[in-house]
Amino acid sequence: MKELIVSDLVTDYGHVRALDGISFVASSGEITTVIGANGAGKSTLLRTISGLEKAKSGTISWGDIEITNLAPEEIVRSGIAHVPEGHAVIPTFSVLENIEMGALFRRRKNSSDVKAAISEVLDLFPRLAERVKQSAGSLSGGERQMLAISRALVSRPKLLLLDEPSLGLAPLVVEQIIQTINHLCRSTGLTVLLVEQNANTALAVADHGVLLALGKVASDQSAAAMRADSALRSAYLGY
Amino acid sequence: MNTFISTLITGTATGAIYALAALGLVIVWRGAGVVNFAQMGQAMFTTYIASNLIASGNSYWLAFVVALISGSLLGMAIDLLIMRPLAHKKSSSSTKTLAATIPVIASLGILAILQALAGVFWAGEERGFPTPVNSFYFKNGTGTLPFSAFNLFVIGVVLTVLLSLSYFFTQTGVGLGMRAAALNPEVARLSGIKVSRMRTLSWAISGAAGSLAGLLITPSTNLSPNSLDLILIVAFTAAVVGGLDSPLGAVIGGLILGIGISLVTTYGSPENVFLAILFLLLAVQLIRPNGILGGKQVRRG
Amino acid sequence: MVSVDKIWRKSLLKTLTLGLVLFLLSFIFDAYNQGQLALVLMLFIGVLSLTVLTGSSGQISLGQGALMAVGGYSSASVITHLGASIWTGFLVAVFVASVFGLVLGVAAARLSGPYLAGTTLVIALALPSMANRFESVLGGDVGLMIDFGMPPTWISNLIEVGYEQWQLWVSIPIALISLFFVSNLLTSRAGRSWKAVRDDEIGAAVNGIPVARTKVIVFVVSSAVAGLGGALYGLRGLVGPSVYPVSLSLTLLTAAILGGVGSISGAFIGTVIVVFLPDLVSWAISGLAVSEQVTNYLPALLTGVLLLATIILNPAGVMGTRHRSKH
Ligand SMILES: Nc1ncnc2c1ncn2[C@@H]1O[C@H](COP(=O)(O)OP(=O)(O)O)[C@@H](O)[C@H]1O
Ligand SMILES: [Mg+2]
Repeated sequence: MKELIVSDLVTDYGHVRALDGISFVASSGEITTVIGANGAGKSTLLRTISGLEKAKSGTISWGDIEITNLAPEEIVRSGIAHVPEGHAVIPTFSVLENIEMGALFRRRKNSSDVKAAISEVLDLFPRLAERVKQSAGSLSGGERQMLAISRALVSRPKLLLLDEPSLGLAPLVVEQIIQTINHLCRSTGLTVLLVEQNANTALAVADHGVLLALGKVASDQSAAAMRADSALRSAYLGY
Repeated sequence: MNTFISTLITGTATGAIYALAALGLVIVWRGAGVVNFAQMGQAMFTTYIASNLIASGNSYWLAFVVALISGSLLGMAIDLLIMRPLAHKKSSSSTKTLAATIPVIASLGILAILQALAGVFWAGEERGFPTPVNSFYFKNGTGTLPFSAFNLFVIGVVLTVLLSLSYFFTQTGVGLGMRAAALNPEVARLSGIKVSRMRTLSWAISGAAGSLAGLLITPSTNLSPNSLDLILIVAFTAAVVGGLDSPLGAVIGGLILGIGISLVTTYGSPENVFLAILFLLLAVQLIRPNGILGGKQVRRG
Repeated sequence: MVSVDKIWRKSLLKTLTLGLVLFLLSFIFDAYNQGQLALVLMLFIGVLSLTVLTGSSGQISLGQGALMAVGGYSSASVITHLGASIWTGFLVAVFVASVFGLVLGVAAARLSGPYLAGTTLVIALALPSMANRFESVLGGDVGLMIDFGMPPTWISNLIEVGYEQWQLWVSIPIALISLFFVSNLLTSRAGRSWKAVRDDEIGAAVNGIPVARTKVIVFVVSSAVAGLGGALYGLRGLVGPSVYPVSLSLTLLTAAILGGVGSISGAFIGTVIVVFLPDLVSWAISGLAVSEQVTNYLPALLTGVLLLATIILNPAGVMGTRHRSKH
């Protein structure tokens, strides 16, 4: 089984260093959560893994291939799907078009499998299935997040990068989304890298936790240990 | 009455050509974020290629196809050789406003080069360009009908192209990918869509659309290095009237301009055409800056 | 912070030095090149007007030639119909072009990027129709014939002045005034607030700069300068649609880009290049047996290639690198 190994990763925005030597491992079939305050570098980490930002140094390897600084459209072909921050869907597209978009690159080779993948994600999110013809712009925040996740899942990834899926959503909806992901991970062996500011929610389902602070790894241990570590909680997580 | 009907039909036929040219502008604007002022220069160039093929004894249809293919190749070449390197450079440029005008200036440079090259290769003097079918008004027993076979041909060809393009963009995977790449390049790349390839494709399609417009309009303007400049202006106005971001808007804008210009020429004076275009352009931008069909977030300039 | 006074004195000195050099050249050059140099100065003023617009608003205009035409037509009208002197003509040109700039600026403040470029292009194309519409005043297709006239007797009594030389002598002070005005304006407080708007509209608004008004003022100033240049340009013999074609606007833009957008010395170098390039080309190929169509179109081809190469290799233009490090 593949695992994601990040070592000594450094990413800059111009003169701003966003990631300053990050190393950790996301084990296969597990949920690894990346938590930390606003501006800690969580989104930058995911964006560098998926190729949207260029790493200055360090390596990212996925199974036996190195994916550091490949283009995003190559990385998604290696089985890594990224759901970026903020319900990234195309509002003028219909729900179905948004989902189809995620499978375009597999369509020619594997059109029957793509059809199956689309109906699988729609089974996962029945609320979307009722609205396939509707435009994505008319969906509620929670539905949009589900759509963004569906767009990623339809490419049949082995690793799912999720950036703050709970952002701006009602607790009930968050719970529903997190449980769907959890279920998917346990039943299909999907590896998940879940970025959250809301540490409680994330640690509740995660196997492993990585705490980022100012672009560095401040703590890297099992989720259970993190939940129990009251010093860490008061120092970094503020509760 | 006959004059009025024939004015309408001629206006619709030229309007259809303007629509095509405007659509070419819209496709590249949406797909690559560039208003391509070189578009009708490219079309002029490929029409010259067609004209030379016909002059050396080939059939109109061969010339027609070759012109369309060269139009799309030329569009692709412009993207690959000029616009793509510029886009990489853009981010390092000093100001954002200036960065947005750089591709515009580049397209003007391309226009200048194409026109000069046409002059060097084929001399500056005007030459005619044939129509594939008769362009005289039909005759029936009692008199003439107010339209020609060429009018019908133009309307038919443009309609077919518009329908195929609309099918392509809404019903095919590549079309979906092109739209996604235009609307949200980041999500498109994360979905595995090769965004830069989609951009090149936009340039190719737009190049072919422009070439087709050039082939269809040139019989009535004659061919010279500058003969399609005016079509660019009309197409630009049509695209802005329609909202620059909206393909359907471009088509409607093209028809409005075609019929409008036809009416002004017949009932007003031809000299007022430009003033009318200028007036329309300013009025639309001041009253409805997003055009008749443009969305809220149209303006990227 | 350098004192404003010092900048003034420095740029005055520079301007006067340039004036002296040009004046000396008017004795060294033959009549043809005197005329070419005068042409450089006329177009230079037009390019300066683009430097003001593009350098301090980031926007480009493809209709700057049309604003030159406004200046040309208004000066030619008062000269032809009212018998005014060319000097009055210049003043009238500046005034009328400013008014045009005001109207255009109010519209253009709402347009950006390609919209403004396209709209100004249409304005340039609509110009001949305008001339036809007011044929009795503006002379329709043909235009109005005016020229530099002859030097006043107190000069011609002193020294023999050729027509081209006189043309140059009139152009020198007009160009220098424009140059001095523009260079001081761009470094003044107003000029700096314009650049603030260019670089960051929202930030400028937060800092209390009236963004919309600033954009309009930039247009007015740019038009005034273009109008002055256009009036001078028209004195070459004719003010008519053929004198201010769309290609004039493109020539100005090319010169501005070649020299580096927003750079004044670059504007001058760019203008020299576009004026002398055709001469240089015909000199270079004079020995070769090339056909007339190649000779006719080669300068335009080279200008286009130069423009594109500048944009691709160094978007800031020939003088751009130095210019940018100044800020
Ligand atoms: N596009 C950008 N340009 C410049 N700096 C950025 C950009 N995106 C993020 N940053 C900076 O990088 C750091 C990490 O940001 P981010 O990865 O978004 O943090 P998080 O997702 O943990 O909130 C922050 O200091 C942020 O200001
Ligand atoms: Mg974030």
